[in-house]
Order: sequence, then C-alpha cells, then structure tokens
Amino acid sequence: MAERQTKIDVKKLFKESPKTPVKLDVTDLNNFVYDMSRCIKCKGCTWVDHIYMPGAQFRTKCPTATRYLFDSYGANGKMRIGLALAEGKLQWTDKLLEIVYADPLCGACDVGCKRNLDLEIGLTLEALRVKAVQDGVGPLPAHKKIAQNIEKDHNCFGAPHNNRTAWLAEGKINPAKKADLLYFVGCSASYVNPEIAQATARILKAAGTDFMLMPDEWCCGNIVFSVGMIDEARALAQRNIEEVKKTGAKTVLMSCAEGYRMWKVDYPKLLNCSTDDLGFKVVHLVEHVDSLIKQGALKPTKPMDMRVAYHDSCSLSRLSEPWVPWEGERGWMGMVEPRLTRRRGTNGVYFQPRDILNAIPGLELVEMPRTRENAFCCGAGRGTKEAFPELALWSAHQRLEEVKHVGAEALVSACPWCKNNFAQAVKEDGNSIEVFDISEVILASIDR
Amino acid sequence: MSISKESYRVLESIVGAEYISDDPVVCEGYRSGPGGYESGLGYERVMTVVPGCVIMPKTTEEVQRIVRVCCRYEIPYVPYSTGFYGPRSHPHVEGALLVDLKRMDEIEIDEKHWFAVVGPGAIYSPLQEECMKRGGYVVIGGGGAQASVIANFLGDGWSPLSHRIGLPHRRILGTELVLPDGELVKMGSLAQQDDPFWGESPGPDLRGLLRGYTGVRGCLGIVTKMAVKILPFQPERLVPTGISPNTSLALPEKRVKWINFVVPNKEAQVRAMFEIGKAEIAGAVTKVPLFWRAIAKAECKEEFWELWGKESAETVNKFFIVRVLLIGFTSEEHMEYDERVLMDIMKEVGGEARPTRPSDESWIKNADSAGMWVMCGSYVSVDYVIETLSQATQHGELYADLKWKYTPPLMPDYGDPGWFQSFELGHQGYSEFLVYWDQDQNTDGVDLFYVDTAKMNIKNRTYTSLLGPHQPLYLTGPKYGPNYHLWLLRVKDEFDPQWMCHPPVPLAHDVFVERAKWMKPIKDWEVPKDLPK
Repeated sequence: MAERQTKIDVKKLFKESPKTPVKLDVTDLNNFVYDMSRCIKCKGCTWVDHIYMPGAQFRTKCPTATRYLFDSYGANGKMRIGLALAEGKLQWTDKLLEIVYADPLCGACDVGCKRNLDLEIGLTLEALRVKAVQDGVGPLPAHKKIAQNIEKDHNCFGAPHNNRTAWLAEGKINPAKKADLLYFVGCSASYVNPEIAQATARILKAAGTDFMLMPDEWCCGNIVFSVGMIDEARALAQRNIEEVKKTGAKTVLMSCAEGYRMWKVDYPKLLNCSTDDLGFKVVHLVEHVDSLIKQGALKPTKPMDMRVAYHDSCSLSRLSEPWVPWEGERGWMGMVEPRLTRRRGTNGVYFQPRDILNAIPGLELVEMPRTRENAFCCGAGRGTKEAFPELALWSAHQRLEEVKHVGAEALVSACPWCKNNFAQAVKEDGNSIEVFDISEVILASIDR
Repeated sequence: MSISKESYRVLESIVGAEYISDDPVVCEGYRSGPGGYESGLGYERVMTVVPGCVIMPKTTEEVQRIVRVCCRYEIPYVPYSTGFYGPRSHPHVEGALLVDLKRMDEIEIDEKHWFAVVGPGAIYSPLQEECMKRGGYVVIGGGGAQASVIANFLGDGWSPLSHRIGLPHRRILGTELVLPDGELVKMGSLAQQDDPFWGESPGPDLRGLLRGYTGVRGCLGIVTKMAVKILPFQPERLVPTGISPNTSLALPEKRVKWINFVVPNKEAQVRAMFEIGKAEIAGAVTKVPLFWRAIAKAECKEEFWELWGKESAETVNKFFIVRVLLIGFTSEEHMEYDERVLMDIMKEVGGEARPTRPSDESWIKNADSAGMWVMCGSYVSVDYVIETLSQATQHGELYADLKWKYTPPLMPDYGDPGWFQSFELGHQGYSEFLVYWDQDQNTDGVDLFYVDTAKMNIKNRTYTSLLGPHQPLYLTGPKYGPNYHLWLLRVKDEFDPQWMCHPPVPLAHDVFVERAKWMKPIKDWEVPKDLPK
C-alpha cells in the first residue's frame, strides 16, 4: 500500500521530475510532440464554441474539416498524423502533403482547442509544413511559383516590380517623404486592389495623418512563411524590418490582415524576438481609424443606408495576438516552466472594426452566426488560394450562406485576400451581395 | 492492413469515391490515441489499431448495404460517431472498416410533439440550442457538448440536469437500428408508422438490449436515427457572453440561477438533496469534486496546480458543497417559490449560500467538459453508480479508499470521493468516480486500478454501470448473474453470429487482460480456452 500523501508540494514534484526541453519553435516538429500526443478528439478544433453554437446550421468553424469530412483533415486527425510522422511511423506521400497543405491555417482550431486545453495546435500545423520543406517534399508547385515570383519581382503575383507604386499615380496620392507612420501597402493592394491602397491613403490624409511608404517595398513573405519556407521568409523579415528602421518610422500600418499578422506575429517568431522588440509599432488601419474616431480626429458623417455583415479576417482577429518568444522545460503532469502565457485568440482585433462600422450613420451592422473567434475563414489565406482554389472558393461560398442567412446587403472585411475571394464567389453565385474592404466603407463615410 | 480491392470497389459503389478511403494517412488520422478519454493506457495501446478503411455513409440504406458487404466479405466494422469516447469506440482488430457516421447529422425538431429526431453524427450543443430557441431543453450528458447525441443516449447521457429530466433511457423514443447483418429494426412507434413520437411499441422493447445500463459500445449494430424527448425549459434567452476561452451563458436571474451552498457535513449534503427532491424544486442539485473548482478558476495547467497545491486532504475532507440550479419553468413566481423553499431547506440543514456567478458554461451547454484533461493530460470516469442518495455517496468513498493504493500514477486528489448528485428529484442518487494521470508515466497502475474496482464491487456486492463490457466479462458476469455474461454473449451471437460488429466487444477487456503481461497479478478468474486472442 502506497503512503497516503495528505499534502503535495507541487514545486518539489516538478523540480524532481524528468524534464524535456521545449521551445515554441516551428522549425522542429519535436517541440510539439506533447501537444500532438494530448489531442483528445473533442473536436474543439472543428466545432463552433459550444456556448456560441448557433444551432443546426453553421455548426463548424474549420473549413478543411467541413469540406473534406474525414477526421484526418481536421486538426484532431493532423495531430495523429503529425505524431506518426515525428515518430517515423509515416512517410511523406502525396496524400499526406495534401492533408498538410489543404488548410488556410486560419487559427480556428487553435483557438477552439485552447478554449479548454493548453495545446499549441496552430504552431504544430506550421511546424508540419516546415518539416515538409526540410524533408525536401514541400511546398507544393503552386507555392514554389510564388516563391520564384517573390525572388524575381519581390511580389507574389510575378508582376513587374516597377508597377508596385502605380496606384499612387492612378489615385493622385502623394505620400510624405518622411513621417512617423509608414504605410506598408502589401502585394495585393499594390497590384490587385489599388482601391484599398488609395482608400487607405485618403483616409489617412482626411485625418491629417502624414504617412510615408517604404522606399522600395517588397513582399511581406506571408505565403512563403505559411507554406514552411522558413529561410526565405526569415530573409524577407530581416530585410523589411531593416528597411523600416532606416526610415525611422515609429509605426507601420497595414491595410492587409495577412501582412498585419506577418509583421506583428510571424516576423518576431522568425527572428526569435517579441513584437515589442521590433522597434516600431505594427497597426492595422482599423485600429488606427478606430482610435481617430474616438479622439474626434475623424468623423464618419456621410450616411450609408446599408445592412452590412462584417467578416473577421483570421489574421486580424484570432491570429493577431502579439508574439513573445518562449523556451523552457516540461515536467511533472506536463507543466512547463517558466510560466507560458498562451495565445488563445482572446485579444484579437474584434471590436475596432465593429465600432467603426457602428459609428457610420445609417449603416446597420448585423452579426453572422459564426463571428469573431468563431468566424468561418474565407479560405483564401496562407497559400490555400494558390494551391487549392476549389477549397478557397468553397469556403467563401459557405460564408456567403451566412451573409444571406442574416439578410445583409453587403459583406465587409479588412483584408484584400478575403475581399477578392468573396467577390469571386459572389460573381459565381450570381447574387446581389456587395463585397467591400472596410477601407472603402470608411472612405465613403467621411468628409474629405 | 487494408481491406481487399474487390470489397473496396463494392463499398465505393455505395457511397461514392469521395466518401471512402483506405489511404494509410487518412486511416492514421482515425487512430484512437495516444491522447483522449481512457487513452494512453494499456487498453488503448494493446487493443486498438488504425482502421484498414474508413467509409462515410449518408443514409440508413447506405449503412445497411455497407453492413451486408461487411458480412459477405467478412470485414469487421466499427460504428463511429465522433470518436470522442476513446479506445472503446475505435477498431480493435486489423483490417477493420470504420463507419464514420458524421454525414448523418440531421437534427429535426417536432415542435408540436416536443421531440427531436437526430442522426448519429449530430452532437449535443446544436440540439440544445435548437431546443432552447423553442423554450425547451435536453440533458447534455457529462461527455459534453461535443458528444454524439445518439451515442451518448446509448451509453451514458446524464448530467446535473437529470435531477429534473428523467434518465436517458426514458427519453429514447422511436429508434432505427441496422442490425449487424444489415436488417433494419424500427422501434417504438416507428415500427408501425413513419412517426417516431413514441418509445414503446407492441412486442418486446428492444431499447433495453440496445442500451441496458450503459450500452454495449457499438457491438450490436448501428443506430441510424433516434427521436429524443424535449422537455419544457423557460422562455428567456441565455445570452452567450465573453471571448474564448472565457465564454459562458449569461443567466436571466429571475428565471435561471445557480446558488452554491456550503453545508456542515456529508449527511447534510445528502439530506439537502433528498429534501430538495422531496419538495420537487430545482433543475439541478449536485456536488462536484473540489478540484473542478480549481479547473474552473485556472487560466492554464500551471495555474491549476498552483491552486490545487494549496489544498490538502484536510480541505478535501471538509469540502461539503451543494450546487443548486433554480429554474422558473413556468414563471418568475415559480422561481421565487422554489428559492424560498430552498432557503428553508438549507436553513434546516445548516447550509450557507455563497456568492455564485450568474452564468453557466458547464451544464446547460456543457462547453467546458474537455477541460477535464487540462491538469494531467489523461482522464477516464472509471465508474458510474445510480443508487439511492445515501448509497451513492458511500460508493464514492469506497473508490476513494481504493484509489490511494494507485496514487501515483493517479493524480493526487487526496481521496476525493468524486461527483455525486440527485437524479429524478431525489429518487436516485448518482455517483461518478473520475481519475486522472499523466500518460507519460508508467500507467500500469491505472490499468490495474480499473479492474481492481470491479473486484472491489464484487466483494462489497455493489452494482455499478460499467461492470459489463467495460470490465472482463468473465470476472463480473459469473458474480452478478450468475450467468449475466452468458446471456450477453448469447444476445451477441444471436444478433451478430459472425461477430463482425466491433469485435471482440463485449469480450474486449477479457482479451486485454490476457494480452497485457502486467495484468497477470490481478487475474484470478477463469476464462474459456476459445477466448479471442
């Protein structure tokens, strides 16, 4: 009979237990063996938070698990597959690559799991892609093409680099040569969605905010990072941060949610520093505008009679909490030391875009059944649109069903990738829903 | 090991190429463990294998055809709703077909007659939400919001709300079962017409076979449809609030309210529950383990242990709480009446009300049940007891006493006697005993504890829910029957003569004990020579 312990000393038990070193480092899948081995198949990664479960319709928040249905495509299945891969029990195959890459890495699984547990699902999925590249099997051909485009023309579309600032002349925009705020335009707004770049610039001007551009802006590297090309992504991160530092900017502003996440979360992750250590602030347009409206510096006075649904772009919302590097050890009962503050998606940019839209006279903001941290991803991000366009479009159609469900006339998001994907789905659908970037809506509501 | 190409083609012709796969990577995604309910233990390591093939039917007819093909080609198969119920819901033999039922996720509400018809892929939280939109509710079992409604109804299906709502087997209405040979059995009113509004029907009530006390874990066919009773709740909306992970339902305090009472001792706890039942008030009356409070308070695993480290055997032994959920089912006045009666009862037993948050995340939608894994990483409820209120609590103490012997590897919880509560207005007392461990440690002790609990119950002549297919049948059957095991095996033989449906259940735990060397010291009962190896 074991001795009946009537009191335990947790610190002592931890101290005396065998330890495993662990880092939040996606370049080594072994850092996440514990997380993969503790998945309990509750499918919190797939279901909408049960408190917010809207009913028989719109039950899931994971596009991949919902589209492909086999457990293997959900994070719960990928944890098992990843563990088998880490333990050498599975080898790379085309199917395995498909399962790893047919996924917008939207963070719904990570936030859902961390509703109740402490497992690093999102980082594990990133680490699986890094491993695919390390093992010489990833990324997919469509992703390699993007990487080639970036290497050659510094943008993901393969458009001529010289055209990057064409939106300025088209819009008759004159940025300052020197300012505290630097607007990082990003590939999409530079080449595909000049209306977003122009709207952003005009909003800043209307608010009296001077802004400059990077003298020679290159791609942020979102896709190459997201598909596991860590070296290429790190080189871009170092280059872009260096360029910002040369300008002396205190704040870098994005109108693209993907770029926002890249700068705010993944650059520090790649460089093993914290967001606070970047040397400048990273903000999205909606944070800046929300602050201006609340200070009275920007007044949305023009009425817009429209019933609008707001789509939370994943990279602006649940994926956007700042990064803090962490390494330590795991011991008794799986506890870690030093104390790790997990990123659970709680502090994403949720209320700012809503406050902005609610401040516009006449505009009626309606919430879709799946909202904020439970939003259903548009499906376009992080290399999905390029390699799995059918999945991306399917996801957008799923979201449009919600727009129709709440009777909204327009769908507003804060990311060009979302806008373009939704716009394509609307066109295919042949319905009358209008799709806007929030910069366009803000611009239309202010006196200039 | 995958299934034959010929049988694959036949199965593919039933569901279409998109809904079947024998790709090893796809099948690996269906592995039972190593994490999850009852996972990371010997049973999971020894008894579960990756399926040879996965198929996802959409209709009852497809399920029938799949099952017939399995019988023709001798392919063992396992019904699978969500996979949440750990190793016992996963294949135990090589080359098995896993029948993933998630596409059969219908939820239809009959508002006139207050029942819901669900498919095996439907989980609880959307059903509860649909019920609440209409002023009704169901019990979400302790398995939580993510559990399949049908699987949970067949297995467990109770929670603190069972104080008011009847036990699950009373709420199973018309049901459709595909037998292991593919024949369709329609139960209740479905046997006579296409309307599942009623549970009983002429002839034998087969729901007993299907469910028994806690079911036979999918070894007697596949339930493809079930109507479940909805009970009246109250009309006010329970508003979801907060951002993950701190989300909860805000309770309309004039209609729904939790009150926690501290009472002087266990006798007072039991008496309070008994009197509350006798007065026919409240929607839930429960006592949960002390460490659940630490789970609810903690923001992470490390904080849980920081909080739990402050407790001791003394504080656990002095923890006498009664949690009461009041529901003004018919009106605010109803709620006021119940509260006055409750306060009278508590005054009599010496209970003192403590400040209680006006919210719920645990029992109305059961959003936090996965939090059971946060502190150790591994968990199983080793037994459930439905007894009288006074007997149920004694049962928990027996378990707590035995548990000391196996701590560690079990989590140090200082002999907490588990969770107990009132069922059906105090007519039954419920006790559930939960154990936790870290699967990275040597878990042989957990495997031994599990079987030792059966021996303890035999010795004390106490009857529990998991003595059948969850324990070695040749250990428990002769002691509880004396031919309980023979009856169960005859039923299995009659319905599934080829033993194609989830073999070797109901003998799986017997097989485990035979295979696991570390179980030898505890094995002192006879098994037949033809036990599956």
